[in-house]
Amino acid sequence: MERRRDDWTADVPVLMVTACGRCGNHWYLPHEHCPVCGSDEVADVAASGGGLCVAVTRLHVTAEPTDAAAGPVRLALVELDEGPVVMGRAHDDALSPGDRAVVSFRPDGHDGVLVPSFAQAGSA
Amino acid sequence: MTAALTGVGVTSFGRQPGPDSVEWQVEAASLALADAGVDADAVDTLITGYSTVASHLMPANLFAERFGIRPATAFGMSVGGATGLAMLAQAARLVASGTARHVLVVAGEDRASGQTRETSTRTLAQVGHRRYEVPLGGTVPAYYALLASRYLWTYGLEPASLAAFPVQMRAHAARKLGAQFQKEITVEDVLASRPVAEPLRLLDCCPVSDGGAAFVVSAAPTGDRSLEIAGTGQAHRHQHLSAMEPGASGASLAAQRALAEADLSWEAVDVYGIYDSFSITVTMLLEELGLTPPGRAGAYARAGAFEVDGRYPMNTHGGLLSYGHCGVGGGMAHLAEVAMQLRHERGASQVGGAEVGYVHADGGVLSAHVGVVLRRRS
Ligand SMILES: [Zn+2]
Repeated sequence: MERRRDDWTADVPVLMVTACGRCGNHWYLPHEHCPVCGSDEVADVAASGGGLCVAVTRLHVTAEPTDAAAGPVRLALVELDEGPVVMGRAHDDALSPGDRAVVSFRPDGHDGVLVPSFAQAGSA
Repeated sequence: MTAALTGVGVTSFGRQPGPDSVEWQVEAASLALADAGVDADAVDTLITGYSTVASHLMPANLFAERFGIRPATAFGMSVGGATGLAMLAQAARLVASGTARHVLVVAGEDRASGQTRETSTRTLAQVGHRRYEVPLGGTVPAYYALLASRYLWTYGLEPASLAAFPVQMRAHAARKLGAQFQKEITVEDVLASRPVAEPLRLLDCCPVSDGGAAFVVSAAPTGDRSLEIAGTGQAHRHQHLSAMEPGASGASLAAQRALAEADLSWEAVDVYGIYDSFSITVTMLLEELGLTPPGRAGAYARAGAFEVDGRYPMNTHGGLLSYGHCGVGGGMAHLAEVAMQLRHERGASQVGGAEVGYVHADGGVLSAHVGVVLRRRS
């Protein structure tokens, strides 16, 4: 059965990462076993929500035609301080790779679902 | 490994309304069997790739009935863009083990005409994680755009470095019958094309196409034109972008496994077919394979390294970026082109003295990797 976490996918405004109790590897997406060492001694921990922005895109062609009408969708990859890379929205036009980024949670997903969204640290 | 690539068949790619997915498969299979000199009723094993337009539980049975063959073994496969080479790798194993004598590998799809662009985009976006990525509104171009953004930032490069690949692929396609796009383009054209998912622009992205491709893999050569499948290798290290290990997608691992099986090194390879769904895809693959130094693939492209007479002649049919992309068949066209190069049948685009070829495909977001080494029989 798929592991469920009390994180933003369950409307709880937090990013969860999983730590391996054997080798110390951290990851983001749910896995039953550590992909590095195979251990199933895994524990979820809440991430601080800060990290280094490593990629951004402005998406002009989306799967849902209505999305494009609202302007380009901005996505970012942020390497969290805990190690894993997380994909999120970006609500800060200035956010660029190399910037320190912080997460907040906004109802910006399809049908208003809560999604992680990044901005430059220190910005509003 | 004792396995022969006895036939290849690739249809023209493009927006070609009319045939449905199975009908494209039929055309490609007919071409490959004729190329091999193998009768349809000699096919004892059939492997068929999925179609996103006509998703079916039993793609091989569907094809077999329509084509009018009754193989002893038939099954479908599905590892995204790597499916075509994965089917070939499986076919090679089946003939090498004595389980099969002639394996027909086939894929085809009316991906351009059989569905709307929105449907196609939405279907393909499902390679994203259902709960952690898809709700963000991403698409396949967006996932690759994030890889491109990270790449350009890491090496301090501008989008023009990626643009060298669409330009090179178009130059190849201009000399290849059946290619979807043949009008030559410049780096300026790429940079001026409309943004799809920045930094990627329209000309950084392959088109969707109607078409098909097929191979015949046999236990023994059927003639002088048959090639040896010298080695295959795979790696499957993640599915989703958010689980990818930077710099270790699996591309290099698959290639090293294929080269090891062939007992060859890169120095032996004369001609290449490298998956190029986006400009960033082929860029990252070339660098992870170790063919160019990190951050330098674009510079190599600008210097002509991937031209017919360059250091790494690559995708001389125009690749996905210009020959076109009909799904599983798109990644098979690279192998068919390399096969024709090794058979010395490419006329003005012939790579001189080509003896060994390497073909690489990836599926998903650099998720599934298959490398194949082909060798001309001496
Ligand atoms: Zn571990």
